[in-house]
Amino acid sequence: MAISRNNLLAAALIAPLFAVVVASFIVPLAVTLWTAIGNPEVRETLPRTTAALRGWNGEGLPSEAAFAAVAAELAQAHEAQAIGQLSRRLNFEEAGLRALLLKTARAKDRLSAPYRDALVALDPRWGETSLWQILARNTAALTPLYLLRSLDLSLTPDGKIVAAPADEAIFLALFARTFVISFWVTILCVLIGYPVAYTLSTLSTRWANIGMALVLVPFWTSILVRTTAWFILLQREGPVNALLLGLGVVDAPITMIFTRFAVYIAMVHVLLPFVVLPLYSVMKGINPAYLRAAASLGAPPWKRFIRVYLPLTMPGVAAGGLMVFMLAVGFYITPVLVGGPEDQMVSYFIAFFTNQTINWGMAAALACLLLAMTAILVVVARLIVPGFRLGGVSA
Amino acid sequence: MKTGNGLALTVRTFTAIVLVFLIAPIVVVFPLSLSSGELLTLPTPGYSLRWYDDFFTSSKWLLATRNSFIVGIATAILATFLGTLGALGIFLGRFRGKTFLVAMLATPMVVPVVVTAIALYFAFSFVGLNNTLTGLVLAHTVLSVPYVLITVLATLQTFDRNLLKAAATLGAPPPAAFRRVLLPLIAPGVATGALFAFATSFDELVVAIFIAGPQQFTLPRQMYAGLREFLSPTIASAAVLLIICSLLLLTANEYFRTRGKTRTLPDDPAEPN
Amino acid sequence: MHDPIVTFERVTKSYDGRTLVVEALDLTLARGEFLTLLGPSGSGKTTTLMMLAGFEDPTSGTITLDGKRLNHVPAHRRGIGMVFQNYALFPHMTVAENLVFPLEMHGVPKAEIEPKVKRALDMVRLPQLRDRKPGQLSGGQQQRVAVARALVYGPKLVLMDEPLGALDKQLREELQLEIKHLHDELGVTIVYVTHDQSEALTMSDRIAVFHQGRVQQLATPADLYERPANAFVASFIGENNRFDGTLVGRDGANCRVRLPDGSEIAATIEADLAPGAAVAVSIRPERVAVGAQAQRDNRFVGDLREVIYLGDHCKLRLAVAGNESFVVKVAAGDAATTLDRGSALAVAWDAAACRALPPLA
Repeated sequence: MAISRNNLLAAALIAPLFAVVVASFIVPLAVTLWTAIGNPEVRETLPRTTAALRGWNGEGLPSEAAFAAVAAELAQAHEAQAIGQLSRRLNFEEAGLRALLLKTARAKDRLSAPYRDALVALDPRWGETSLWQILARNTAALTPLYLLRSLDLSLTPDGKIVAAPADEAIFLALFARTFVISFWVTILCVLIGYPVAYTLSTLSTRWANIGMALVLVPFWTSILVRTTAWFILLQREGPVNALLLGLGVVDAPITMIFTRFAVYIAMVHVLLPFVVLPLYSVMKGINPAYLRAAASLGAPPWKRFIRVYLPLTMPGVAAGGLMVFMLAVGFYITPVLVGGPEDQMVSYFIAFFTNQTINWGMAAALACLLLAMTAILVVVARLIVPGFRLGGVSA
Repeated sequence: MKTGNGLALTVRTFTAIVLVFLIAPIVVVFPLSLSSGELLTLPTPGYSLRWYDDFFTSSKWLLATRNSFIVGIATAILATFLGTLGALGIFLGRFRGKTFLVAMLATPMVVPVVVTAIALYFAFSFVGLNNTLTGLVLAHTVLSVPYVLITVLATLQTFDRNLLKAAATLGAPPPAAFRRVLLPLIAPGVATGALFAFATSFDELVVAIFIAGPQQFTLPRQMYAGLREFLSPTIASAAVLLIICSLLLLTANEYFRTRGKTRTLPDDPAEPN
Repeated sequence: MHDPIVTFERVTKSYDGRTLVVEALDLTLARGEFLTLLGPSGSGKTTTLMMLAGFEDPTSGTITLDGKRLNHVPAHRRGIGMVFQNYALFPHMTVAENLVFPLEMHGVPKAEIEPKVKRALDMVRLPQLRDRKPGQLSGGQQQRVAVARALVYGPKLVLMDEPLGALDKQLREELQLEIKHLHDELGVTIVYVTHDQSEALTMSDRIAVFHQGRVQQLATPADLYERPANAFVASFIGENNRFDGTLVGRDGANCRVRLPDGSEIAATIEADLAPGAAVAVSIRPERVAVGAQAQRDNRFVGDLREVIYLGDHCKLRLAVAGNESFVVKVAAGDAATTLDRGSALAVAWDAAACRALPPLA
């Protein structure tokens, strides 16, 4: 069937938006996924070594050609200043490799054929099969290492998946912490938001408008400004401590800033409107005749609530709660500003690996896992809440 | 729902406390920003405008303000243009998979911002868009275009397609029908979308942390930098200025929202065929 | 037909390439006529209207307006006025602005616009509402404005798609007559779509009864009622008692029909059917006489099930010859209305009053 004139017009109207979203969102996400599994360092910096290792069966030691290639290419990389990336990458496989590679690169002038003996003489590790296994493994275009590390797993030189060493196995605990914080923030938001939305929905228009304004103003105020406000309020010498001291509730200022408590307070403050707003509109839409009918059928107040009102408002609870959970899982700024080192969430480590240790592979792997978690949540949301729409709540 | 009076009172009191909790931190920033002292404490030792003076004479803060407005306005224009055209295309087209297309175009709304931020950082590093205002505008456009798309689509859902048919039977060619009938009726929705887009860009921090260099610092980025260095009351005055901008945007949004309601729906809306 | 304005020739419409919404439609519309497309929902009447208006393309066949092929002429170049079910007034324009719109679109000179708007508003008796927005008008007022807007630029042909569907009964009847009078005064050709048979009978010069994508009968209101072409038309227009049976004997226009219970009915027949064919016999409730009437052609004894009081008349529901809801219309004071449920009651009618029709659905 020919494409109708209508759809040609539609396609022309959608095309610019589609192009921008693909170019500056979908493609970057694909780049991130590639960064999480891509393994370019050894292939690009040591191409001849890569070729020489292709025929090696992984037992004993590789041929003299491989030793010669690695000695020459490490020296070249040193001159081209590409050694840093390579050595950082391999050091991530096994601590200490960075020093070995730098040492070998700098020893260029002292090395001569036969290179196998020369390298082993320089450092006995060149004579170990495991080192060559690591090198050979990383001549592959893809590596599972970053994703494995994000799940606290590691690879042995001969390619077995094992638990990561205890001091590096921090990520499962990190995901668990992110989940726990998000879970409690969601529970708090729902428990606090429900009665608030209910009260607002029963008020006269004038009072309801005032109440809604008190919800909407924070909703429209930037997250940074609100977090900053808590950052200031919760300082040791800040207004909250001043108030508590003034009221005689405490004798000495209490530490609130940089604690889990501060993270909860600020996150609930930021996310509460996301529950109140959808709940309010659901509650506003409930025909009071249902409750009158329940009363006329003999249900006492608490049963009317449990059997009629609560089920009718559940879509709002689910929509708001899922929205809060999804947003909370990705929180970054608030924990960084008001939380302590033990309160940081996944996002913090993504930023940490990107900007501080420049380990893009780890950053990308964590980002991919966070993205996968969010995708699962969206699917769950669609299953639980009929008609759950991404635009259901707007920030 | 009628409940016991005691319970009703408890629920109302609880609500009042929560509303105070929601608004108090925002209110408290105002006196703090007017403090004459060096420390962010209450009660303030006295009142002065010195921190606003500090804000408006600091080249860093002024640059950040300028950047914020440039990026915000450019984002609003670009996102509104792209989002409105896209929404019209989705509205006018007759094809399957509309829901999927909208969901795909709206994903930047649900993907954690940090993920979007590093994705853009990685991708921009290949094309040299990091540390440029253009890159920031593109990034903010991607983050805010779903709001425009969804707002305009929602407005179009209340738009009666028969009006376009009526215009045609009255002799209006499609461009005239678009200009004289469709556009005036969805204008409030488009305006709301533009405000959302501006507000999203104006408040955005996470992407700015990753892809903006000091020359591209926006107001939130400059505030964040300030918070991590030295907690000066200038930050509170910057926060107050941001709050005032948000209030203006909220007011404008409410205006367009109510105007949109009264203008598109007849008092007895019949089901469109 | 002299002076046709619109013709449909073998017009077929299908959305999915398999099910036909409109099937091989041939229809000719005379200039100045009021033609109603009548049928249940999904019968193809609205699709036919939309193809004429230019919002749907026929899958095959030709539509002409004044002798010119309309296929692929966009709606805004057809010069056909239209009134929509939900009025479709532009909510952001005043009543006057709504009327100015088509005049501007047709390039009417500025000086002529105002007199035309005034005349149109006078025509629907709403001159005082010219500066109101549609949202401030009642449903009836909105529909009058919609009619004025469709007529203001003087189209030769106006289409109306269930224009009174959203109004209550009393207002609907009032506006039916108003539209009919406008048609008489202006001499414009109107194609009117409705599913309400009484509306169609009230307003139309001719009615095309649609069912399952086909025109079942195209005739004047009186012909449709008195001489339905098949059982569907008979039951869709007016009240009708139906007996399904087999044609057992035929002599020209007279025939005999045997019912499943063995009894026979004498009826008239026009359709080209031979003995042995399945037929549906149709008798209007007002053509049945109650009580022993020896001179009638058909005489039955029924079992009274229900008496329904309707003010000026009563309806009796009986079981007659296997038909469990045989309805008879009698005067309110008739003696039969005082009978108890379960009483035996004689009913009778002439062969001329009942027709043997092709069954169809």
